[in-house]
Amino acid sequence: MRSVAVSSDVRERIIESRWTYRLIAFLLFAGAWQIFASLAGTFFVPTFAETAIATVRLALDGHTWEAFLLSNQSLVLGFAFSVALGIPIGLAMGRFRGAEQFTDVYVNILIVTPMAALIPLLLMSLGFTLASRVILVTLFAITMVIVNSRAGVRQVDVALLEMARSFGASEWQIWRRVLLPAALPAIMTGVRIGLGRAITGMVIVELLMVSVGIGNLILRFRGVFEYDRLYAVVVLVVIEALVLINVARAFERRATPWVAPAGIRS
Amino acid sequence: MIKLIGVRKIFPGRNGKEDVEALHDINLAINENEFLTIIGPSGCGKTTLLRAIAGLVPIDAGEVLIDGTPVRGPGPERAMVFQNIALLPWDTVLANVAFGLELRGVPKDEREERAHKFIRLVGLEGWEQRMPGELSGGMQQRVGLARALAVEPKVLLMDEPFGSLDEQTRRLLQEELVRIWEATRTTVVFITHSMEEAVLLGDRIVVMSVRPGSVVEIVPVPLPRPRGGRIDTVGWSTEFLAITAHLWTRLRDMQPDLVRSKEALAGVSS
Repeated sequence: MRSVAVSSDVRERIIESRWTYRLIAFLLFAGAWQIFASLAGTFFVPTFAETAIATVRLALDGHTWEAFLLSNQSLVLGFAFSVALGIPIGLAMGRFRGAEQFTDVYVNILIVTPMAALIPLLLMSLGFTLASRVILVTLFAITMVIVNSRAGVRQVDVALLEMARSFGASEWQIWRRVLLPAALPAIMTGVRIGLGRAITGMVIVELLMVSVGIGNLILRFRGVFEYDRLYAVVVLVVIEALVLINVARAFERRATPWVAPAGIRS
Repeated sequence: MIKLIGVRKIFPGRNGKEDVEALHDINLAINENEFLTIIGPSGCGKTTLLRAIAGLVPIDAGEVLIDGTPVRGPGPERAMVFQNIALLPWDTVLANVAFGLELRGVPKDEREERAHKFIRLVGLEGWEQRMPGELSGGMQQRVGLARALAVEPKVLLMDEPFGSLDEQTRRLLQEELVRIWEATRTTVVFITHSMEEAVLLGDRIVVMSVRPGSVVEIVPVPLPRPRGGRIDTVGWSTEFLAITAHLWTRLRDMQPDLVRSKEALAGVSS
């Protein structure tokens, strides 16, 4: 039984790897989908295999890439605006009472308003343009960035602020050396959650308002009853979202190495 | 020399509650190169007093003078060591010790060289590149002490710096502090709630009353110096025990509501 002895080390590593569990979970999911779709026997629900094939085909198709590029214009611009505006607004709200009172009510409105309800409003004022898509993505993402940045500044340890003050720190030095580093983990969390919301916004705006790019693909495939391709588009969006969010997470970990990973370690 | 003349501090009551007088007519002269410990019952305003000297809280009446100049805020001649240590968790030990110098615009090379010197002084050589989270509580407070010493203050303000440490770590750090202080001889104002600590470290002990805090007694500590090295040998002397006992009597008598009488206890047991 030499081969067993040799491979025991490898086996242990396979058992310990989180990818093993992810693979098992995925296979269970895929199997359940396949079985359910076969039993249902309706063409509204494509099987897992059909969807997988359609996904690969779609991914190799240049038109799909064009659609994704078009959609991502609003994602990139809207997300950039959310970060560029949301972080300073959130930080100011957290630190200065005046800024808080000035903007608090609008941020609350943003939090409670279903964004989709704003779509007719945007359509009327800006029409079917890139600008209205960008604004909607921004509205989707910016609240998360603002709220988390504000919380980041608020939860700074007052002992650290007092310490800095006792050594004669100026307001600018306090910002640079205490407030910003202390708020950074929360800011990064806000950016990551905001990114997820921006992706949602990107797709929703195209489904409900400006039928271009990814949203247009989804609507078109639905119109011609090509449900395997419709699902494939969704799968591609999910893949994009996962990649982007993992990039954001990796960036977050690199930027704030002193923070112990919260929750379950991955 | 630090002079406190008629210092009064009132915290305004919020939401219709009554104002709280934390400090009442404090008069105190702290000599140059003196190690002064301040002890009092909890909530007596001893930390507020220290923060007033540090310039972190404004006072409502009186004057805090340092070499004749009234305190209007934090100043470079004072440095503070905090009970909750307050290290920057995103900076290395070296950067934390150099923090005060950095705020004063000391160039990087120079401030790191000076930080190294004080890291050696507190016995943390080799730990310069570690993060505060990797250090034990006692080591963290050594960093806090080095950070305060690195700005070479004339007055070191220490707010129950060993209060959150365990007994053994505390004793080791007390020895360390005595050793460092007997070498540097800066003026130290040291807040504590431990009678033993007040006697072991101090040249004089200020006993404060319950709120509103005022000075009720100043107890001189005639124990010989240097007490550095093994201060536990000082700790078992009759003089030491006598002063400690005296402090406890004073502090206990100040808080009669908290000292239950024999009758009350008898009532419970019968």
